[in-house]
Amino acid sequence: MDIIKAIYDAVLEGQVDQASSSVQQALDSGVEAKAILDGSLIAAMDVVGEKFGEGELFIPQVLWSAKAMQAGMDLLKPRFSSEDQAEKGTVVIGTAKGDIHDIGKNLVAIMLEGSGFRVADLGVDVTPERFVEKAVEVKADVIAVSALLTTTMQSMGEVASLIKTKKLPFKMIVGGAPVDQAFCEEIGAHAYGVDAADGLRKVKELLKR
Amino acid sequence: METGLHGRCSPRFRLLDESQILRIHHTALRILNEVGVRVNLKKALDLLGDHGARVKGGNVVEIPSYLVEEAIRSAPSGVTLYNRKKEPVMELGGRRIYFGTGTDLPKTVDLKTREIRDTRADDIVASTVISDAAPNIDFIASYGLPRDIRPGLHYIRCFQLEVENSVKPIFFTAGSLEDLNVILDMASTVAGSRQDLGRHPFLVQYSEPTSPLTHSEEAVSKLICCAENRVPINYTPALLAGSTGPVTLAGALSVALAEALSGMVIHQLANRGAPIISGVVATGMDMLKATISYTAPEFRLTHSAYADIFHYYDLPIWGTAGCSDSQYPDLQAGAEYGFTILNAALDGCNLIHDCGYIGQGFVASPEMILFADEVISMVKRYMRGFEIDDEHLAMEVIRNVGPGGHFLSEKHTLDHFLKEHWRPALFNRENLPNWVKKGGKTVDQKLIEKALEILETHKPESLPRETQAALDSIWEQAEQKIRR
Repeated sequence: MDIIKAIYDAVLEGQVDQASSSVQQALDSGVEAKAILDGSLIAAMDVVGEKFGEGELFIPQVLWSAKAMQAGMDLLKPRFSSEDQAEKGTVVIGTAKGDIHDIGKNLVAIMLEGSGFRVADLGVDVTPERFVEKAVEVKADVIAVSALLTTTMQSMGEVASLIKTKKLPFKMIVGGAPVDQAFCEEIGAHAYGVDAADGLRKVKELLKR
Repeated sequence: METGLHGRCSPRFRLLDESQILRIHHTALRILNEVGVRVNLKKALDLLGDHGARVKGGNVVEIPSYLVEEAIRSAPSGVTLYNRKKEPVMELGGRRIYFGTGTDLPKTVDLKTREIRDTRADDIVASTVISDAAPNIDFIASYGLPRDIRPGLHYIRCFQLEVENSVKPIFFTAGSLEDLNVILDMASTVAGSRQDLGRHPFLVQYSEPTSPLTHSEEAVSKLICCAENRVPINYTPALLAGSTGPVTLAGALSVALAEALSGMVIHQLANRGAPIISGVVATGMDMLKATISYTAPEFRLTHSAYADIFHYYDLPIWGTAGCSDSQYPDLQAGAEYGFTILNAALDGCNLIHDCGYIGQGFVASPEMILFADEVISMVKRYMRGFEIDDEHLAMEVIRNVGPGGHFLSEKHTLDHFLKEHWRPALFNRENLPNWVKKGGKTVDQKLIEKALEILETHKPESLPRETQAALDSIWEQAEQKIRR
């Protein structure tokens, strides 16, 4: 189908207006929303993610592809019976308490959104309690916590403890310069993302299980 | 309207001011007028004598200043080099910088075994193919001196292997006038004729006077031959301060300059307006080891100084960079490549040779051509500077994002990031976990892998069949002549 390919290309090339007009055209001509979502938007973003991982696409290009994907999604959402049906999953994200360095967190959030996740972005300096509250509220699948400072790593552990002691169903992923796989295991988080592309990959893996 | 603002800043460097340039220039003129140079070729002595120079005993000739000033004026300010396909690719002159390899390294660090062995003919092919593929190597040279080719034939063979394996301009040496004529025959075959070669030169002859103040018969013969054929020549002395020149840098520079300028006088008298590229090397001899440093800080000081002088003359300038005194590609080589390439770029030299050299001009290590390529790429970005205008000051996007937001998703970022920011081809920028995951390779390892990959996959454009056959027959004749 040409229109499916046109949307796919628009997302791959980060053409926002093109993506939304093509999605509209597809809907008008009776293509199923689900087919557009899976066949064009998600499929294109999967390729974008791969290309980024292989060093063929750069961050700004990935983000514009994500924007094109979002523009398409906005048109598709009303066609689904519930929001959840459209989304791959829901992620609550923020920087750890005491940390206001958010560029890495923003990058992960945009890439998650661009890949079809619903993202509740709590911003910076988020308390462990707030992470959990929000996750309950939005029925999250994953809590993602980012830190740049070594001093704020401790509050990541508190998020993990809260999830464990309250026996909550959330998976937790951590990331940021001072964090590593060993720390992730030590505090009992479920995954560690080396960088934004890896973070996205790990979230997808967490939801597969 | 905005006035008085330069829309682009870029790194600028000058070592000498005008008074210093003139002081050294005048000293070189005095050397030529009062001390003279030895010229071991009757044809050149006659040329000089006929035009007012005083020829003395022992082939020494005193050259009056007006002949030098005339040569500086008649030599062209710009020399265009073409590639093998007659496309203009290098405009030598001004502060336009071009980089290439050097000639005649007798030893090679084997790409696979890493042993240091004699250079062979297949190494000339390998370095040419690597240079052909390297985007920041603008011109090629033999790089090696093949020990498996008979002396008297190796310059001819090198030229043939280079022209067969790359379209890029060739910077070449020749042993004698005879060699040179065979090479020019080969080049004319590729270009069509000697006239075509003079019109679209894709080569530069590299000859040197001998310090102090001597022009050998071979060197001057080649100088005059190139002038007559309007084949660009790079005629540049390599003086060792303290042994073949005064130990002090100002004196060393003045003697070397006198050597270069007297070469230019002979060249321009032989054919006014013929293309010449000039410059000097004036470096120290290591008084402990009796070796020649390619990267001494004094080398770089005289390099910057002569660049300023030849910019003042408005003449095309030779340069030396991307070389090392280390016998093996190591940290020393890395530091010396970085230092010299940046220095030569800041000096605004046009024909910057010796990229890929190690071992004080004795050792080749082919992957180092790619290392030089990476450093050149980095330095070129630095030299480009940055624009200062409304679009680049970015006030609009700063206002849109505001405090605490981010610029990652802005159209302005998408529009500019590729051009504004340099990216390495080989230098590492992976974070630690990713670097470890991808094999934890150092740049040394990546360079060797890349060189081997190029040799495996890069196929240079071949010559037309009939040209190739003509080259083969010139080679066979040269070989037979030597045998006899």
